[in-house]
Amino acid sequence: MCFKNLPVEFDSGGVATLRGGIPDPYSVTVSKPEVGVTDADREEKIQRLMASNGHIKDLNMDPVTRVAGALAVHVTADLDTGSYLDAHSQATLFRGYEVILMGRDPRDAIFVSSRACGVCGGVHSHAAAYAIEMAMGLAPPPLGTVVRNMGEAVEMGYDNPLHLYLLAGPDYSEAVVSSVNPGLWRKAQTWRCVGTGIHGFVHMSDLMAALNPLAGELYREGLEFTRVSREAFSLLHGKYPHPQTIVPGGVSSTITVQVLNEFHSRLSQCFDYARRMIAVWDDLCEFFYEADDRYQMVGYRPNDFIDPGFWDDPYAYDADYATCNDWGERRFSTPGVIIDGELVTTRLTDINIGWEEFVDHSYYEDWAGDRYQTDELGNPISPYHPWNKQTIPAPSGKNWREKYTWACTPRWDRTSVEAGAYVRLMTTAMAQKQPENEFMQPTGHSLRMTIPKGMGPEMEVEWHVPEKWNAFERNRGRAYHYLFAALVALESLLEAYRLLKAGETRVAAVPAEELEDHIPRDERRGVGWWGAGRGWLTHHLVMDEGKIVNYQICTPSTINASPRDPWDQPGPFEEAVMNTPIIEAVEDPSKFTSIDMLRAIRSFDPCMPCTTHVHTPQGTVTREVNTCSCGVD
Amino acid sequence: MAAPPRTTPAQELLDLLGPVEGFHSREEYGDFGLPARVTQEDYLAPFARASRDSHLGPLEKVHAFWFAGMSCDGCTVSVTGATAPSVESLLLATHPGLPQVVLHHPVVNLESGPNYMEAAERALKGELDAPYVIILEGSSTDETLAVPHGGYWSAQGEEPWGEGGEMRTVTIDEWIARLAPGAAAALAIGTCATWGGVPAARGNPTGAMALMDFLGKDYRSTFGLPVVNIPGCAPQGDNFTETVAAILYFLQGFGPLPEFDELGRPAWLFGETVHRTCTRGAYYEEGAFADEFGDPECLVEIGCWGPVVNCNITSRGAIRHVGGCMNTGGACIGCTMPGFPDKFTPFYKRPPGSTMSTLASRTVGALVTPLRRYTTEHLNRTPRWDRQDFVPSGWSREREEPGFIADLGHRFYDALRRSNDTSKSDAVEWGRGPNTIGDD
Repeated sequence: MCFKNLPVEFDSGGVATLRGGIPDPYSVTVSKPEVGVTDADREEKIQRLMASNGHIKDLNMDPVTRVAGALAVHVTADLDTGSYLDAHSQATLFRGYEVILMGRDPRDAIFVSSRACGVCGGVHSHAAAYAIEMAMGLAPPPLGTVVRNMGEAVEMGYDNPLHLYLLAGPDYSEAVVSSVNPGLWRKAQTWRCVGTGIHGFVHMSDLMAALNPLAGELYREGLEFTRVSREAFSLLHGKYPHPQTIVPGGVSSTITVQVLNEFHSRLSQCFDYARRMIAVWDDLCEFFYEADDRYQMVGYRPNDFIDPGFWDDPYAYDADYATCNDWGERRFSTPGVIIDGELVTTRLTDINIGWEEFVDHSYYEDWAGDRYQTDELGNPISPYHPWNKQTIPAPSGKNWREKYTWACTPRWDRTSVEAGAYVRLMTTAMAQKQPENEFMQPTGHSLRMTIPKGMGPEMEVEWHVPEKWNAFERNRGRAYHYLFAALVALESLLEAYRLLKAGETRVAAVPAEELEDHIPRDERRGVGWWGAGRGWLTHHLVMDEGKIVNYQICTPSTINASPRDPWDQPGPFEEAVMNTPIIEAVEDPSKFTSIDMLRAIRSFDPCMPCTTHVHTPQGTVTREVNTCSCGVD
Repeated sequence: MAAPPRTTPAQELLDLLGPVEGFHSREEYGDFGLPARVTQEDYLAPFARASRDSHLGPLEKVHAFWFAGMSCDGCTVSVTGATAPSVESLLLATHPGLPQVVLHHPVVNLESGPNYMEAAERALKGELDAPYVIILEGSSTDETLAVPHGGYWSAQGEEPWGEGGEMRTVTIDEWIARLAPGAAAALAIGTCATWGGVPAARGNPTGAMALMDFLGKDYRSTFGLPVVNIPGCAPQGDNFTETVAAILYFLQGFGPLPEFDELGRPAWLFGETVHRTCTRGAYYEEGAFADEFGDPECLVEIGCWGPVVNCNITSRGAIRHVGGCMNTGGACIGCTMPGFPDKFTPFYKRPPGSTMSTLASRTVGALVTPLRRYTTEHLNRTPRWDRQDFVPSGWSREREEPGFIADLGHRFYDALRRSNDTSKSDAVEWGRGPNTIGDD
């Protein structure tokens, strides 16, 4: 029984039904989560403090830089008590990609939807391929899935260092720490690193100097390693971003020993680098926690997470919704939902039917209608489920009480859950369902991984599920995830060699010429559950008479950057900021930089380009009069 | 031919918004978003500043304002992959002959919020210490659809430009429209900014369009340039940094005048079709085509438009000469072209025009391929093996030794080949001495 808010229960066979006797069970006023603080409470508190405290600042960080895409974060900061009283996350871009997908031949979806994001430059084409394959009933041959795994694992090898060294890294560099946390900088100059033997930095201050933007060695090395991984990706898929070899039913890559060897030679450079990355971020966590316990609360959120799994078992994946719980649990990264630190399900159907998206605080109009009451297996789905969703863009003035962002509000079981690459470590470690393999071993509370011999010796590292979830653990988790992905790439590469050895060279289900014959003319639904550099990625589509009639993309940053939901629960960015203490010294309010909030936000690795691309049936722009700009003015 | 519109979308937007009255004062926000207490520009200055006598030209420094409109950030990602020259060499001024490029980029910069926008304000006020260029990634839009409702499609930063000096979110288009007239150059990177791209495809709800559409035909930068276009979805990163470098080499006095085609593309990069340098192009010539996905032959019949698309990815590769769509099995969908995507869909389907040319190449191939194979067989034998009529290979050879007719053909071919070989002259090779063991 994994739902506590939605009125959904299961029979002994695991089939879900709606609890009887509830009129309008999905109404937001009927099935409600327990909410601690409402927006009204928050505002009342702010007004009260305003009357007695001159150090409350209402500031809008627009743009938040060193994130991908357009993000702004509004905060109400109390410099006296050192707390963020309120926060609003704003996606400041809308492009309407899904409307462009609607009305098209399904063969267009892969390459058009890829353009939703160039930072997560390969994942959308894959998610689209999965969604189409389910609707068309096309399963790739094993090598097709293996090549996808290889490419998508090394894509993480570009994504993780890009975030850790180019985007987040400067927040922990000498340039920033010495100016904004002078006390910490003094300590760093004498603090001896634990991982010196691996990363080579003696004092924390040396490590921090290497994180300096452009001038620092770790920054430039990170940039260089993003290139190595992109070369490996381009060997298989032609280019990055927007790979050119993803096709419905597999890939069109020509796989030879030369291709595998060149891939192999680039991947092999990543293991020593993974060792170094882990040592760097382990030391950074250690140092900050030791220096000031309050860093445990920077970016803190309760342990509520979701992930649909990533990288398929080539012998299990059959593109069928009816068997998705079986092939889902065979993924290298296990699907799962974690609520209050407990893994409540690993079934893709549960993940799917608990999913809803709301637009109460977004620049869209609500929609009416529930085309589908259930999924294709008879499990109930909400009118707010992506298969039922319509979104009507309505750009309007910004108003914290009403609408303030182009992102919408996805929730699972009406709970605010977080997405992230690190969630893969967590679900995989806790579920212990990962297919047996040479290099990775989940223990229930940790993930043990073996780094193959490089310049350094073969070595075992262990990532533990943290008790307290915060900005530092997100960054550390991403460093371990880099290794996790590289090991998946290695396992998949070895499988590709085995298949080639066995003479199995087919990479796609059907020839191009026959694709058209496989486009069904009846109404079909599909979902691609996949992953991005920031975790969760889904594409839901509906086809009818051979064309796409609905297309819905939900990205990890849509989840994390979401605004309030209908019950005033803040989105993960907002919640993390409101939990963040202001640790920087602010005796002089004009010196307030908001670095603690920036560390919290950047730890999510926000990626806004793909956050804000919902469809509209007509492309209409609707007038909405909205002049009140409340908050603290 | 239709006459060009009298006004431009950029002008229409500015007319709707009215003039800029003032800027917000530094006191309002202090160090908010400035955790290093300095901007990236100031932070990098000591690393990047060249010494006086090391200059290879008059330009010391150029500001580059990078804006992302209806963008996926893929162009930014591509440019971080570039190495000829690399973005770090431009920013740190380590590429001899090039000035320091002071990049103002939301994905790169150290500072956030109003402190990040401050440089763009200085550019508007004419207070920058060096010339600036603007770079647009992603399409422009029709913000006049959203502005009357107090909203926007794509925005960055807030300025006190609302009614009565109220703070108002500033759209990317507004920044572009205001900064373009004073820019030394306006560069569009990627297919969205150059032509409109996917955001402007069928169903486009936002009025997305190219930078050229937005600024109009008559736009000229302060250096007298129309919009420079570097297309691709995503573009090859080096195509962008090389174009920037080529313009700067010229301005520094040592490079040739870079040539642009009639659509403002660097002519040396987009003058050829991608088919001409494709590693699979010769399969086309012999009429050999991939049938299944993953086959090694020419991809035209599984939907490749390479023969009619201006692009260089097959010769340059995607990153550091690695990859390149068709080289790895990806059919060209024309992502560098103004017609992308709608003139290339549905994908994975052979372009209708290829029917005639593939028939022609199949016919030629039916004749040429066997002849080539025949010659290759001959070239796979050493002259010694020819003489002994036997190949000492331990690998299982199924091929028979050439028969009398085949051999005659090869001898005829060799005679033709050596027909004007000047080594057949009568000059005495006295340098060999008397006792050389040579061939005939």
